[in-house]
Amino acid sequence: MPKSAASGQAARPRAGRPLRAVSAVTFLVLVGVVVVSSLITSEVIRNQERLILRERTGEAAAVLGSAFTGSQASLRLLGTLARSGQGRGALFTEAARSITTAKGQAFLVTAQRGTRTTVIAAAGGAPAVGTLLPADEGQLARRALSATGMVTGLIRQGSARWLAFGVGQTAGPGTVVWEEVKLSAGTTVQPGASSPWGNLAIAIYASARPSPATLLIATTKELPLTGLRYPFRVGADTWLIVAESPHPIVGMLAEAMPWIILAIGLLIAVLVTAVIETLGRRRDYAAAQVEERTSSLRTAMAELEQAQAQLIRQEKLAAVGQLASTVGHELRNPLGVVMNVLYLMEAGAGNDPDGPMRRHIATAKREISAATLIVSDLLDYSAGRQPILAPVRVSELVAEALSVAPPPKGIQVVQEGDPHLTIDADHDQIRQALLNLITNGYDAMSGGGGTLTVSVIPASESVQITVTDTGDGMDAETRDAIFTPFFTKKARGIGLGLAVTKRIVEAHHGTITVRSAPSAGSSFTITVPAAAALASVRA
Amino acid sequence: MSGSAVLVVDDEPGMRDTLVAILEQNGYQVSSAPDGESAFSAVQEMEFDVVVMDIRMPGRDGVSVLQDMGEPPPQVILMTAYAQEARLQAAASANAFAVLHKPFETRRMLGLVADASRAGK
Repeated sequence: MPKSAASGQAARPRAGRPLRAVSAVTFLVLVGVVVVSSLITSEVIRNQERLILRERTGEAAAVLGSAFTGSQASLRLLGTLARSGQGRGALFTEAARSITTAKGQAFLVTAQRGTRTTVIAAAGGAPAVGTLLPADEGQLARRALSATGMVTGLIRQGSARWLAFGVGQTAGPGTVVWEEVKLSAGTTVQPGASSPWGNLAIAIYASARPSPATLLIATTKELPLTGLRYPFRVGADTWLIVAESPHPIVGMLAEAMPWIILAIGLLIAVLVTAVIETLGRRRDYAAAQVEERTSSLRTAMAELEQAQAQLIRQEKLAAVGQLASTVGHELRNPLGVVMNVLYLMEAGAGNDPDGPMRRHIATAKREISAATLIVSDLLDYSAGRQPILAPVRVSELVAEALSVAPPPKGIQVVQEGDPHLTIDADHDQIRQALLNLITNGYDAMSGGGGTLTVSVIPASESVQITVTDTGDGMDAETRDAIFTPFFTKKARGIGLGLAVTKRIVEAHHGTITVRSAPSAGSSFTITVPAAAALASVRA
Repeated sequence: MSGSAVLVVDDEPGMRDTLVAILEQNGYQVSSAPDGESAFSAVQEMEFDVVVMDIRMPGRDGVSVLQDMGEPPPQVILMTAYAQEARLQAAASANAFAVLHKPFETRRMLGLVADASRAGK
């Protein structure tokens, strides 16, 4: 199974964490698609717009063109009438008057002699017969004579503007038949709302180029227009329509479509990304959870195995303890008998306290005491019993302990404090605790002798018994370990003395403390509750 | 105290014999019994000031004998090598004078017998 460095907490989704790579890529791709779609739509709509504008403009040009084709036909007819009239202008005049539809419309025929252009027939608001035409109109007449079809031109007379159409040679050689229409003063007109081109801005020029001089009419003052240029034929000339659409022809909705696509697309991109991100994070979270659970399961398994091993160890220990307990109990009787025998021997060993037999007996008693203490510690450790409390005088316990374990040579024992203090204690257990502390003190001074001090002082509702030696002392490491079972620094001993002493003191609701430093000796203090004041002292 | 009648009860001959010897040496009138049953009979037949009795014996144990003793009961010092919690509690509630854990200091045993003998008088 792969090790996961991430703990469950780190895998939990948090605000402010950057997007995952998958989500970021998805978002960018979606945004790209949306932007491209929007641009394509925009281009299609613009093309559509251009197409419609061209169609509309073309329609306008076609209408204009066909109107002027009609004019050309009328002028040819008038020319034929003028020629067949043989100088009688009446027929021409009458015919012209019959096709005049508006005020300010004039029909005339001119003849070219050299560079002079003279009116030879006139109708409507035209100059009188015999009038010499101005130079610009003369120029137009010369162009009409050489052109096939109708020519067009703008003529200025003072502030008035005339639009002139001329067809050459129809009333005889060198003649031109004219129709002139007086234009209104301004060039701007407001097309009616119902006009098919009402929503367009249009400028019509009587030339192929959008020159202000040839501007016939415009629906706006904002010139020049920059839109579509649509040239078309009027007789022999080319006119120009420039058209623009101030408002979208395709409609506001179509115009806004790219933006709508962009907005909706971006919204969808954000939503899809959010969903992907959420699902991804959830999956990551689930994976982290699984990993966490697996890890804790592994830990639990390890703990279980450890506990099992511990159990097996404890079972082994219990079996050993059982054996130790049985052996210990069996040893207690013979030890007791030997103790009694030694007492009897002592009584028969003569009166000399320093006699050899008495010294041997003392040695035997000391060794029996050591064996007894070991057995007691072992039994107490393997199956410690609850203390049976009774009031007991501390000095008695100390005296007994010192009698069982008298000081070896070179060691002096000093007793201090109040010998009458009484505690509530299990006589044998506290004596065992004191024996452990006293024999430990002896052992610490076994090198060069010293002084063992046993002091008994009253504290508040308790009694402090302190055993101090002037021996080697302990470093901090040893001091921390001394109450651990089977810990020992002695050549002899099984390392249970202080563990059992601590257990006994605590079973008496007391405490044990130690003060020690290397080469400064050690001092053990046990504090146990004092006997109730009225309790009778049983000796 | 000297001349007080003491009954020593223990199934271990070594312990019984040495205790008898020590107590006699210290001036007591000492009888002995090897088990609980004979100890009980002895107490019925004779009056003892102090009984020094092992707890664990074949047949009746020391605590049981102590519980059944008639009036006035002698002072009983119980001895044990097998400090079993329940029996120790029973001994305490049956008013044993003291409980001695084997192996004990001979001098302590003598001190207790002397005290018990004084208390019984």
